[in-house]
Amino acid sequence: MRAYAAFVKKEFLEMSRTYKLLIMGIIFGVLGLMNPLTAKFTPDLLAALMPAGMTIELGEPSVMNSWMQFFKNIPQMGLIVAAVLFGGILGNEISKGTLINLLTKGLSRNTVVLAKFTAWGIMWTCSYALSFIITLLYTNYYWEDSADSVLLAGAVSGVWIFGLLLIAAALLGGSLFASMYGSLLFMGGIVVIQFLLGIIPDLGRWMPTGLISNNMSLLEGNMGLAGFMRPLLTAVLLTALFLGLSCAVFRKKQL
Amino acid sequence: MNALEIKGLVKRFGSHTVIEGLSFEVPENCVYGFIGQNGAGKTTTMKMILGLLKPDEGSIRVYNEQVRYGQTDTNRYIGYLPDVPEFYNYMRPAEYLRLCGEITGCPSGSLKQKSGELLELVGLKNVNKKIGGFSRGMKQRLGFAQALLNEPRLLLCDEPTSALDPVGRKEILDILENIKGKTTVIFSTHILSDVERVCDRIAVLDQGRLRLEGPLDEIKKKHRSGKLLAEFGTEKEAAGFEAMDFVKKTGADVKREGRKVILCSGNTREVQKAILCGLAGMDDMPLKIEVLEPSLENLFMEVVE
Repeated sequence: MRAYAAFVKKEFLEMSRTYKLLIMGIIFGVLGLMNPLTAKFTPDLLAALMPAGMTIELGEPSVMNSWMQFFKNIPQMGLIVAAVLFGGILGNEISKGTLINLLTKGLSRNTVVLAKFTAWGIMWTCSYALSFIITLLYTNYYWEDSADSVLLAGAVSGVWIFGLLLIAAALLGGSLFASMYGSLLFMGGIVVIQFLLGIIPDLGRWMPTGLISNNMSLLEGNMGLAGFMRPLLTAVLLTALFLGLSCAVFRKKQL
Repeated sequence: MNALEIKGLVKRFGSHTVIEGLSFEVPENCVYGFIGQNGAGKTTTMKMILGLLKPDEGSIRVYNEQVRYGQTDTNRYIGYLPDVPEFYNYMRPAEYLRLCGEITGCPSGSLKQKSGELLELVGLKNVNKKIGGFSRGMKQRLGFAQALLNEPRLLLCDEPTSALDPVGRKEILDILENIKGKTTVIFSTHILSDVERVCDRIAVLDQGRLRLEGPLDEIKKKHRSGKLLAEFGTEKEAAGFEAMDFVKKTGADVKREGRKVILCSGNTREVQKAILCGLAGMDDMPLKIEVLEPSLENLFMEVVE
């Protein structure tokens, strides 16, 4: 347990000294701020930029526009930046050989995988929460009405779980291919396979990619919570599976 | 008790066999020199002892416990210094040792003191910059400190002196000499003078096979060549000496290389006596007469070729 705590601490030190903490903080902070502002001021901006005499019909921006921005920007921009940072978490250490000293001191390989998942899980949760809280505060400030809190909680947790799934995929990719690029390709592959399988409607309903693409349908009431639970369940199971597999693969890895 | 027992070890990478049926034992508290050319399989053997690589055949026991690949409990006895130690570049030396100590479960009170002592021992006491800015020699010193941190019963050093300046090399060899008797040390190297200085036993590895193994002094005794060297000031003097009757009478096989005459025989002592008596009647005196000890270098070349 002490080794686990020591390794989690080491991961946080690494994130802070290699500026990963800063990058995630800035990106997610800025994204959080941009969502409500873009929703609120796009019509004004467009009107100001249009040549005289030309008008463009845009509805009055609503609270939904703000959340639409959130569920567009975070899965697109935010998750891509996060995935690039997740890519190196295990692969880099294996390829550089920095784990050799610690493993030969009796650090268990399972501890390495689980401690990394913990540290990066916390990092992702905090960055995402930062973005969400900023968007929520500004949305409440600019608009009087608000989105249904239960549906919002569901939609927000979907992206969060998807992020955790990506971390587990990065760990499995890292232990399989022992490099950052291998890990990134594996994460990309997992997402592409889901989109491909998603073409078959019966399977598509269960694909975790639904957690980052159906958020607005859920929030606007076009999709029931039950429909959103299916990909959520798959994502949780896949995360557990990937973690178990990364432990198993890493234990058998020649270093 | 043996610190390490290796039996019938085989390791292949694809179709290439790196280690072929390696067997040897390392008794407790000795300094064991593991000698071989680049690519002889020294690092591969060490990594198998540490459970980092999986042997294809054979068994390894550390203090009578079987080494298990992957989840290697026997590593609690071992301190390991890799040939090119890799660290977290963003850490400072003391922080790194603290991480290592926390992982091995060293009590935090003694950890600080211990890491301070070790940093002083390896000459990094006042270095507070990040490891990223370290030279290779400094990394090797830090590697030594981390290997000694958990007071290992068995210390594995993979070419510990290869990146060091002469002062650093002497310091590391001094440390090895100091811990002799308390810790079993296995160190791989191709610097033979280091081996002669600190090792009790040696093993010579060549193309994955053990060519020579045993206590260093016994090996030297066994390979004593029975050669006597007489070196003269000029070639003419040497040729004169070679032609002398008392030289021929010794029955030794006489060879001359320039100013040096080498006499090979089964009984060096008798030859030496006869030569010294004969020399008493000569005008030309040799600059030196020497019984040739086999050098480790010669032994090494002999077994490797």
